[in-house]
Amino acid sequence: MSNINGKVYAMNAITPMKPWKTWILRGFFFVLGRVKPLQQDLINLSFIEFARWVVLPRRGFPFLGNGQKREELQYDYLLFFSNFNGTWNQYIDAFSAVLSRGLNLIWRWSEKFPGSVPVTPFKNYIAQVQFDTDYYYTAYPRATANDLKSAHIVQASLDALSLRAQDYTPAQFEEAYLHFVIQVQAHLGETGDAPVVF
Amino acid sequence: MSKLNSTDIQGFVLRGYNLPVGRYLFLHLEDATRARKMIGQLLGQVTTGQRWDGGKPESTMNIAFTHKGLVALNLPLATLITFPVEFQDGMKKRSGILGDTGLNAPERWDDVWRSDRVHMWLGVNAKSPEALEARCVKLLATIQESGGATLLGSQDAAAVVIDGKPTTREHFGYTDGFGNPEYLGVERSSQPGQGKLLADGTWAPLATGELLLGYADEAGELPVAPVPHLLAANGTFMVYRKLHQNLATFRAYLDEQAALYGGGREKLAAKFIGRWRDGTPLELSPDKPDFPLTQDPKRSTNFTYGADPEGTRCPLGAHIRRVHPRDDFGFHGKLIDRRRITRRGLPYGAFVPEGEPVSDSEDRGVIFMALNASISRQFEFVQQQWIGYGNDAHLGNDKDMLIGNHGGRGRFVVQGDTRPENPPFICSNMPNFVELRGGEYFFLPSITALGMIALSLVDPR
Amino acid sequence: MPNKSGSLYGLTILSPIIDDEKATPSHDLQIRKYLASLATDDRSPFALAPGTHLARLVVMDDVIYVGMPACEEHLKSKYLVLESNFDGELDDYLGGLADHVPEQLDSIWGHCVAYPGAANRQAFIDYMKACQLDTTFYFAAINDKSLPETLRALHTRSAVADFIANHQGMEPARLQAEFVQFVAQLRSEPIPGPGTGGIARDIKTGGRNE
Repeated sequence: MSNINGKVYAMNAITPMKPWKTWILRGFFFVLGRVKPLQQDLINLSFIEFARWVVLPRRGFPFLGNGQKREELQYDYLLFFSNFNGTWNQYIDAFSAVLSRGLNLIWRWSEKFPGSVPVTPFKNYIAQVQFDTDYYYTAYPRATANDLKSAHIVQASLDALSLRAQDYTPAQFEEAYLHFVIQVQAHLGETGDAPVVF
Repeated sequence: MSKLNSTDIQGFVLRGYNLPVGRYLFLHLEDATRARKMIGQLLGQVTTGQRWDGGKPESTMNIAFTHKGLVALNLPLATLITFPVEFQDGMKKRSGILGDTGLNAPERWDDVWRSDRVHMWLGVNAKSPEALEARCVKLLATIQESGGATLLGSQDAAAVVIDGKPTTREHFGYTDGFGNPEYLGVERSSQPGQGKLLADGTWAPLATGELLLGYADEAGELPVAPVPHLLAANGTFMVYRKLHQNLATFRAYLDEQAALYGGGREKLAAKFIGRWRDGTPLELSPDKPDFPLTQDPKRSTNFTYGADPEGTRCPLGAHIRRVHPRDDFGFHGKLIDRRRITRRGLPYGAFVPEGEPVSDSEDRGVIFMALNASISRQFEFVQQQWIGYGNDAHLGNDKDMLIGNHGGRGRFVVQGDTRPENPPFICSNMPNFVELRGGEYFFLPSITALGMIALSLVDPR
Repeated sequence: MPNKSGSLYGLTILSPIIDDEKATPSHDLQIRKYLASLATDDRSPFALAPGTHLARLVVMDDVIYVGMPACEEHLKSKYLVLESNFDGELDDYLGGLADHVPEQLDSIWGHCVAYPGAANRQAFIDYMKACQLDTTFYFAAINDKSLPETLRALHTRSAVADFIANHQGMEPARLQAEFVQFVAQLRSEPIPGPGTGGIARDIKTGGRNE
């Protein structure tokens, strides 16, 4: 079992919801998906690579016959899967500090959710509803979301300079190269191993 | 919030004493009963947080314990296990987490720190070497007579003296002493830039609970603390690290790199840290030092990085930008409010001015002490994520230029612009300018808690 | 549409695991055992088949009881969760898995109800779709770059940083010549494949150490 691969952590959480509350949550996600500025905070918290919420209605569990018993449940379930950089504590601390309203809007419909502020009861709740990953794969274990964004900037700048590099006089190239370096200078961090988890 | 009772809090926690000499004594507790009696005898002399409106005392004294020390004092097991895991582990066991490997690894530490025998820290500060000596002689006499502890070793430290006056310089030549956070209820006056950033761009003191246990913290709750409450309240945790400085290596590296850098030697040195050597912040005065600025508390720490997102004034990886990112992470600076630490400490070893010969093997460096309510959330996080790593600064695995454990590898990028005096520049393959020679995690109890320990009145809840 | 963000697809699959009292160990434990030793680096089935940025497999034993006054209830089956983040269209992705790593798929999903086997490509795709859950809200930090583009950019960044560091203060004509050569070299050299660079980790998980 491992929740971690390189620099990325796989969190899984499942929370029960009374079915009538599920509709409110769907409405919120509908708005969130279409109103881009609401997503800005998620983008600015630049340690999430991918995240998703899945509303799983009580009759929505896949049923394939062949001897499988049908589920008989009272609650709908909200599944949450996140792929983030950094430690478990750092992740939840950050969310609690700056995204508490958004988090509350998503999870207040789940049973016994204590609110995302203050952080200690929130962490206790997450620890309770989190279940562990059996197998975690990432195509780029030594890179974080920040590294990826930087890499694309460097690639684009390099491509732009390469296009015209041979056409310049040396003096022109020197100037173009300086501009290139200035474009990429904030994006040159090394990739490598993740710090030890604690 | 509740008013602070400064008579119950050890003075060392609430303020830097600004006394020029210090000595730290490391004790091993011999027998619980005799050790408690000794603590009882020392208790009356412990310097509290009361203000010295009548002038500074000749000397001060403060006490702290390691977890092993609390065990040796026979505190109840149910109490001992409520102390945070990192404090129970001790700093040596956390070396993987802290990046204390290679040249910083425990195998290379001073004997006293390798031994796992340090139970108690006695911090003595004084106005003069004579006052220091006199105080220590009396303390050691008390300790001897009580039979409660043996002295494992001591560490002298002293402010760097230049032209006959103590300064806040350290051995590399940088002016230190800026950048200690402000907490609610602790300071008399407020200095912009020291606390937390508010949404309107002004600064406010941090919640008291970021420093002191038993008070509300920035997360809107009482920090996780050991039980019983009386043992923890008004106390804090201290990280002690002896950082040896390779002054010859530093000067040689600076010389070598400065020859290639268009801005010159002093500017390159400033780019490493984020302040000119006289303390002027690069962010406020990127082209030259401005000494009057450093003497004005309304300005010397009053800046943010919002106007410098590319790092052309203050590099993105500069030391002060790494450890206090201010508004760099967006969200009006909220993400860093719980990652601040209060630093105390003094240099040790002989100061050698620029131009005079110096060797790495000479004993000099800085005794670094950090105070915080949670060692793992504050110090360990900053050390691991912001010093030894660079992802939050968007710098991948790059380490802090000055104190990173480079091992001869790595890069430091000085972001620049098109002006020849501020070019982009990359330093590579850095040696270790600083080496860790030992240290530990301590608990600094309140005066009440010291009394409870001395009288063996600690019950778990 | 909710399963997608830009060019990235967020696939969530919940496959019921066979519940057979006579199986020893039980099917869910067999899946766990297989997954515990399956490579997570460049030999992973998700590295060998194209398109996967990040993927996880989780055996979900049961729903979680959060305590009174919530009611206690239990699932009648265990489920295998696949959460994948990949480039392109679903059918191509699933087909790609069936084409490249059928053995591994069979070893994992062979323990699931009504699994047809990867040998029949279309049957495999239909099976996975029958187990698919709609992703209600999907967030991808970067949703417009494919996996090959991403790996290439990471490789480029590292090479560019080295080049800049090693060419400081060089006179312009030589710098230009070396730059042109550098670009040509970078274009022609092989890029480390997906999944390279992870350290082999044993059982390890994040702590709650504060």
